[in-house]
Amino acid sequence: MILVENLWKKFGRFDALRGLSFEVPDGSAFALIGANGAGKTTTIKVLMNILEPTRGSATLLGVDSRKVSPRELAQIGYVSENQDMPSRLTVGEYVAYLRPFYSTWDRGLEASIARQLRLPLERKIGDLSHGMRMKMALMCALPYRPKLLILDEPFSGLDPLVRDEFMEGLLDQAGEMTILISSHELGEIDGVATHVAFLDEGKLLFQESMSDLTGRFREVRVTLESEAASPKQTPKEWMEIRTIGNVLTFVDTQFDENGLSERVHSQIAGVRGIESQPMALRNIFTTLARAARDGGA
Amino acid sequence: MVWHIFKKDWKLAWVFVLVVSVVHWIDSAITYKLGLFNEDPMLEMLADAVPMLAFFASMFLIGAIVHLDSIPGVRQDWLVRPISRRDLVVEKFVFVVLMVNGPIFAAVLVQGLAHKFSFRLSLVAAMWQAAYFLFAFTLPLFSFASVTRNMTQAFILGCGCTFIILGFQTIASYLNERAHGTLLTIAWSGVGWVGETTRFALSVAAAIIILSLQYFRRKTLISRGVVVLFGLVLLATQFIPWKAAFAIEQKLSPKPGAATNVVVAFDLGLGKFRSPSGLGVSSEQGRRYNPGEHTSVYLPLQVAGTHKNAFLLTDLVEVRLIVPGGKVAFHGRGERLEFAEAALNNLAYQEIQVPASVYRDIKDQPVRAEVDYSLTLFGLRQSYSVPALGGDERMPGFGWCETKMNETETAVELRCMQPGKGPTCATLFLENEANGLRNPPRSSCHGDYSPYSGWYFGDNMAHFGANVPFRDPSALAKFPVDGPQLPQSRVVIRVYEPEDHFTRQVEIPQIKLKDWEAQ
Repeated sequence: MILVENLWKKFGRFDALRGLSFEVPDGSAFALIGANGAGKTTTIKVLMNILEPTRGSATLLGVDSRKVSPRELAQIGYVSENQDMPSRLTVGEYVAYLRPFYSTWDRGLEASIARQLRLPLERKIGDLSHGMRMKMALMCALPYRPKLLILDEPFSGLDPLVRDEFMEGLLDQAGEMTILISSHELGEIDGVATHVAFLDEGKLLFQESMSDLTGRFREVRVTLESEAASPKQTPKEWMEIRTIGNVLTFVDTQFDENGLSERVHSQIAGVRGIESQPMALRNIFTTLARAARDGGA
Repeated sequence: MVWHIFKKDWKLAWVFVLVVSVVHWIDSAITYKLGLFNEDPMLEMLADAVPMLAFFASMFLIGAIVHLDSIPGVRQDWLVRPISRRDLVVEKFVFVVLMVNGPIFAAVLVQGLAHKFSFRLSLVAAMWQAAYFLFAFTLPLFSFASVTRNMTQAFILGCGCTFIILGFQTIASYLNERAHGTLLTIAWSGVGWVGETTRFALSVAAAIIILSLQYFRRKTLISRGVVVLFGLVLLATQFIPWKAAFAIEQKLSPKPGAATNVVVAFDLGLGKFRSPSGLGVSSEQGRRYNPGEHTSVYLPLQVAGTHKNAFLLTDLVEVRLIVPGGKVAFHGRGERLEFAEAALNNLAYQEIQVPASVYRDIKDQPVRAEVDYSLTLFGLRQSYSVPALGGDERMPGFGWCETKMNETETAVELRCMQPGKGPTCATLFLENEANGLRNPPRSSCHGDYSPYSGWYFGDNMAHFGANVPFRDPSALAKFPVDGPQLPQSRVVIRVYEPEDHFTRQVEIPQIKLKDWEAQ
């Protein structure tokens, strides 16, 4: 659905994107994660042909992003935290304005989304709160059943209640559509994303399916017979190795339940017990981000 | 989808459109109420202010319309909608033309009809005005607005452009002054329309390039470069050489060859210029404002070979004074001359204002004078007449005129109005119908050969007239038709239209300037 290859984007002397490559499979919910300024929004703007790449290519729906035309835009839903809509029109007027541009617009679906999101159709867009505006943007992106839905920081600044309403609205209509969602907070896309890519300073750290990612990351706690000392040599897939008393902890990034004991014993002497537990997405993100900064990952 | 986007813009901008339209209509109402004699001081003051208000309001309206779906920026919702760029630019253009030019068109048309001009004349005037406004104002501003995101940005960029224009104009004026007026020759002349039309053509070209770049490729930085580049080229059109512009005008002469027999020659026989009579107002003013900076030299000229009922106007007089050795000591402009019927085949003095320092250096030397004349021969097209007192006539093919006595009771005030650009040249005199006596004619020429009419604001009506004297307050002159005869008299207006544009060169092999200085 989306293929990004060696994408570069410069703003003056600043490289916002530095050779970014990733692929969004059809039907996936792909999360683009990264801290503020990592290049998520720039990537999305390039995909939407709002910005032109400096180098490299981005293809969506089989079309080069530079050539995205109304034909492709009619199949893409776009929701952004920074979307300028005509503030003097009412919600209803703007929806009515958008309707004819989409041949697949479903008025029944529109009404049902409006109801579900509890949108005041008669209120002027300029008078809506940030949360309401985000819900309205979602409402304007779903009734034509887009093949691809792009959400740029959709949860930014939303209170938990509105966020839940937004997510319900989104998930109810997701169906077969491919979703690309950017966020600086991995926890926000927990339960939504099927795939994830980490961006840092315009570079991709990695891209992986969510099940693989959560499956291969474990926090391992090794209890030793005596006071623990950091092993001199450890496998590169072990990260954040720490010792407290006779306990040594690390994050195993290539977790294999059957082989863990053997690997620990081959690296560390005097092992009394080994425990492993799954990690929250937020902690995985932190580990990876820290490792990226330290030149690992 | 053009109509669909149009409806959205109307919903968003109708109040602003209405306000600007009302300002234009108020402007028209004021001009209408002023009538021919502009006698209400309050209305006259408003007539100065409201057009400027309408001008700036239209400017803001164009910006506001374009900014409803602005091009620069990355946040606009329309960028992610399946909206055809072609539909968008067409809609914006149509909306701007209808909402900005439409009310102006309507105002001029209604005003023409209110003045009881025919529908055809009023319509033609309204169409020219709308077309002029489109090319001179709407299109350039539309292009400019498309390279800005919002009104603040437009204002800042506009201020920058104004600063560049003022700087350019200051430099241009300085250079022109140093070149004694020979650099900026076509502005405010009869062929000024050549420069203006060039600017329109450049504006259209710039608009096509900028709007294509913006709406189809969203290349704002390049477009801004194009704005600046075309802006400088537009400013540079002031420097279009006179010869090139006048050559175009010559090609467009209505009766080419009509001036073949016209001869302009230096005539020693008339002797030195001695009397202030015939001295042009402009030269008197020039001396008043620049005492000691210039010395006026008057060369006697004879014009011959014109047909009866002709009128001759110098469009540009370019003078070169060449000292022995071939060096050009002075290259500048001479005063413009008018030769009305009565003056033709007679003598006139060509005034040349020589800078005092140059004059001091060469006044005793024999110099060669070369005077290049660009001239227009006018033929009488039609005569009209209006009663000298209380006249109120609508003359088909001419316009509407009224007459009244002036406050000092020395002249008859004639004021006329005509849809379009009005007559180029006319002579006026008082004639007693009963005894056939006539006063000497007065000429009034504005030498505009533009094939079209229009201005940035106003009603696209030519407002013109003159005061026709019948009594000299100093009692030195006696007019054949005087005050008591006015009830039986009419103001005769003889309208002249250009027949041929031509050039002549007068060479005076050897003269000493001090011999021709005014006494």
